[in-house]
Amino acid sequence: MNVVELVEVTKVYDLPRGSIKALDNVSVSIEAGDFVSIMGPSGSGKTTLLNIIGCLDVPTSGRVVIGGKDISDLGDDDLTKIRRDKIGFVFQQFNLIPTLTALENIAYPMILRGVNGHEKRSKELLGSVGIDEKLGENKPNELSGGEQQRVAVARALANEPDIILADEPTGNLDSKTSKDLMVLLKKTNERGKTIIVVTHDPIVAGFTMKTFTLVDGRIV
Amino acid sequence: MIFFEFAKRNLGRHKFRSVLAVIGIIIGVLAVTALGILGNSVRLAASDQLYLFGNELVVFPYGGDTISEDHFEQIEKVADAIPVKSSVDKVILNDDSTLVAVYGMRTEDIPKLLEKEEGQFLKHGSLNCLVGSRVADDYELRVGERATLKAQKPRIVGILKERGVGFDINPDNAIIISDKLFSALYNSSGYNLVIVKVAKIEDVEETREEIEDRLNKKEQVVVVMEMEMIVEGIKNLFNMISLFLMGIGSTSLVVAGVSILNVMMMSTVERTKEIGVMRAIGTSKKGILHMFLFESLILGVIGGVIGAIFGFGVGYLVDVLILKEASYLFAPSSILYIFLGVAFGIGTSVISGLYPAWRASKLKPIEALRYV
Repeated sequence: MNVVELVEVTKVYDLPRGSIKALDNVSVSIEAGDFVSIMGPSGSGKTTLLNIIGCLDVPTSGRVVIGGKDISDLGDDDLTKIRRDKIGFVFQQFNLIPTLTALENIAYPMILRGVNGHEKRSKELLGSVGIDEKLGENKPNELSGGEQQRVAVARALANEPDIILADEPTGNLDSKTSKDLMVLLKKTNERGKTIIVVTHDPIVAGFTMKTFTLVDGRIV
Repeated sequence: MIFFEFAKRNLGRHKFRSVLAVIGIIIGVLAVTALGILGNSVRLAASDQLYLFGNELVVFPYGGDTISEDHFEQIEKVADAIPVKSSVDKVILNDDSTLVAVYGMRTEDIPKLLEKEEGQFLKHGSLNCLVGSRVADDYELRVGERATLKAQKPRIVGILKERGVGFDINPDNAIIISDKLFSALYNSSGYNLVIVKVAKIEDVEETREEIEDRLNKKEQVVVVMEMEMIVEGIKNLFNMISLFLMGIGSTSLVVAGVSILNVMMMSTVERTKEIGVMRAIGTSKKGILHMFLFESLILGVIGGVIGAIFGFGVGYLVDVLILKEASYLFAPSSILYIFLGVAFGIGTSVISGLYPAWRASKLKPIEALRYV
């Protein structure tokens, strides 16, 4: 089953200097349980593609189906719900919410969704990404970069999403921590999660099963 | 409620800034509450000291002469009327000589218009006198003592209850004798004023017109004053004073509102990226809106409550210092200003928070995420 399906997707940005075609007639299918990387030079449309798969943006033309649902014409509220329930995000700069503790960060998507027992599940998730329970009460600025990114992975898993999207997840980590994180993502994938990683690091791409390369908004 | 929790923690992040914003609201609410209480207390104090009776008309002679017996009879045909002769004269009370108002009234009219504190009213044909409460206090007069008025030494048979400043007569600082004695002492004919009691307040206007029609037919003889009009005028005046004072207070609230707007705008800009993250992982626009509105609500509630408490304290001080009377502070109409102050404080904060909250909720997640 395809968990992500893009059919002839084009995205045009209208800028003051003229319009830019960030994605040009892209068709991609990603199967459930895949571990995929998207590579390409900067400006090739990687982030745009990720934003569209992540329901943060809608295409100018073409069809986008996420978890069996066509999102091409959805409004903001519906897209927000899909992001909350079906997609987990891991960002380059970790982007944990600074006012929340590690455990609260993990619980937050569940609280938004109104899940019961989120406290217990947050603790389980924290353990599953290999963070000591004692650090659960720490605020993000009291954690190392590697720890923050692990908490971010746990947060991404909170609502049992169909897809995990990771945008340069190792971009702010040293090589040892990067490797550890990729091992964690690999393990997560082995437990059945579909993971899509955007990167320009071939070592990162080496962990994945399949690599798409984008150049000038096209898959080559 | 998660967004309330966010709001609390976000305010805690910049404690100094939040405290400053709250101080602004405190000052604004304090000003509104204290000035509101002051205005109200002044109004209450004034109505306590004024004798205002809505269904009374006072007829004065036009020009300066008195109202003649004939004219008085005309008035009496229209409604119940109390004729009053008045003068100001030197009176010796307890060996002190002083100037007081002297009123000559028909003995049967006195109980209709005045109340007594002790003693009794004048009997028909009495050559005695009644004294007002202020005169009695100032000269330590007791029932049974005598006053000296011209060649007469009338005995004080009664002391009147305090009545306050009126537009008809001011008995507190007066001595009251029968009209017969007055005529004999001052050799007067006619009346200085006539008080008309109208049974129903709805009929006041009509009665006034009737008196004017009867008396001012050929030339103007009398001026008829409607107490109702005066009462309304005074009420309006005090309402305007209250409003003016509240207006001054509100100015500082507006300033406080602008400072909250400023703080919230800074906060939306600073937190753009965070808002982007929250939106990306599934927070709705409404959630962001609520988070910011809660922040301004919290500032408003804290500032409003503290401001109202201080405002009450300042209101107390002002009442004690200016009016020398704290009891007006606890009147329901004064307490109302405390709640009004709190409501204004919260209202100002929330209104100031609306625009920043709306802006934050409108941020596009991808653009907000890219913000550094």
